[in-house]
Amino acid sequence: MDAKEANEKSAPERNANSAQRMSRRLLPLASVVGAFNIVAAGVLGADGEAAPGGPTTAAGPSANLPPAMPGPPLPRTYSRSALIAGPGTACQFRRALAGLALGPRDAIYALGDDEVRVLEPGGRFAHSWKAPAKASCLGVAPDGRVVVGSPGRVDLYDAKGATRIGGFAAGTREKPAEVTALRFVRDEILVADAAAKIIRRYDLRGAELGVIGDRNKTGGFMLPNGSLDFDVDAAGVVHATDTGRHQVTSWTLDGKMVGSFGKFGMTRPEDFVGCCNPVNVAVAPGGDIVTAEKMIARVKVFDRDRALVAVIGPEHFDPMCRHIHVAVDSTGQIVAADPERRTIAVFKRS
Amino acid sequence: MSEKNSRREFIGRVVGLTALGGAAATLVARRASAHAVFQVDPSKCTACDLCRTTCVLPMSAVRAVNEFSKCGYCRLCPAYMDVTSAPDQLGTPSGKVCPQDALKRRVVGREDPDDPNNNYYEYTVDETRCNGCGKCVKACKPPAGNGSLRLEIRYDRCLTCNECSILVACPEAAIVRVAAPGLSPVPAAGAHRG
Repeated sequence: MDAKEANEKSAPERNANSAQRMSRRLLPLASVVGAFNIVAAGVLGADGEAAPGGPTTAAGPSANLPPAMPGPPLPRTYSRSALIAGPGTACQFRRALAGLALGPRDAIYALGDDEVRVLEPGGRFAHSWKAPAKASCLGVAPDGRVVVGSPGRVDLYDAKGATRIGGFAAGTREKPAEVTALRFVRDEILVADAAAKIIRRYDLRGAELGVIGDRNKTGGFMLPNGSLDFDVDAAGVVHATDTGRHQVTSWTLDGKMVGSFGKFGMTRPEDFVGCCNPVNVAVAPGGDIVTAEKMIARVKVFDRDRALVAVIGPEHFDPMCRHIHVAVDSTGQIVAADPERRTIAVFKRS
Repeated sequence: MSEKNSRREFIGRVVGLTALGGAAATLVARRASAHAVFQVDPSKCTACDLCRTTCVLPMSAVRAVNEFSKCGYCRLCPAYMDVTSAPDQLGTPSGKVCPQDALKRRVVGREDPDDPNNNYYEYTVDETRCNGCGKCVKACKPPAGNGSLRLEIRYDRCLTCNECSILVACPEAAIVRVAAPGLSPVPAAGAHRG
């Protein structure tokens, strides 16, 4: 039987089509009523009260969802201790929430709605300033200086954010950098360039000092999702997401690979699901690594031996998240930004 | 007398211009209609499978296409392989998503046979096998995939029926009639009217 024969429609299927046509003619009226009910239920909740977390964008990924992952209990649990931004808070992002970083005294720096907002650890608004057009990510130095990335460009601001103290073009003239993550390391700025699939090292004036991630068989990270994230630990080791390989890879600043962990898998909780994960990464002060995944929107904590010790489950995030921006404060609390719901939440070890 | 003539002339001109305008508008509308085609709006399409089952053709005129500029060239493409199926020795899921085996892939550049993690793959649709069921399109939708796969009505197969049965059936109103001045409305040789 060839492909065409296999696809020819059966008689019952054709009869069903005429019935479907009739029902479709009545659909507009029914859909108006149905849509109202769905919207009302989504906004009000089952008992008529406002739904926590606000309306979500969709029911979730449509296909190839893995089965539930029962397993032995993990040694640590985290619970949400605070909602810093989102519905019911003083800080709301109406259009976008693109980035997150922590600064001095665990101040929260959030990039969204075309501005950089600085919030105190409890969530109280401190100050804000206008971000460059199409800004995609940000990083904060220990002294409070802020660096903001946008397509092909990096801009530097003083600790108050009022003054732009520098900036430079990132990438090459032929291929401007697609800046997806930034970090200060001593007097350098590390720039994740998803277009070139590498991390570029710049001094504060924009002179390129070197490249991280190109010393492997493919000459760069494998990034099917077009995004590269990284963080730097206290020893100056760079930990980056290699999403196509389903790994977090570790590099010295001079570009030598010193470790990796993670693999693809749909059933074991320590594995990374889907086509390309983990999508975001952060390093905790003690050396733990925190990862965030899409498809199953969740955050995981791996200890110094890279054993999975905790999972912050998908019930806390929008199922349509392509990113969950994560950072770890000085006390080990995990701060996570959900760009779909435009919320920032703090998770505390319990 | 002259005043009456000028009034008649004025009315005559108005009527004449109106008629001319109407005729021109009708011609333009017919011409536009003759060069209109049906197409799938990917932003609305949910890949519900009705394109496959409701087209009047024995094998639907709808096919999946891959937009290379959006494709991630993944090794573990969720539209190509059933990521929940049992993995082989290299950790690659063994099952495929397409029931027709219409989605094909080949390594881009030099293949690393030892570690498939180092390979990028280009995915193409074999249109002789694809029936427009949309399973791959559904699996490629974000956040699982990049959304590079989408359904398209192929003009060389579509009969451009007066009332497209997929348009009528589509619950998302994702089938739209769009002007396509450069395209011939006549179906290609080999297509037949049902």
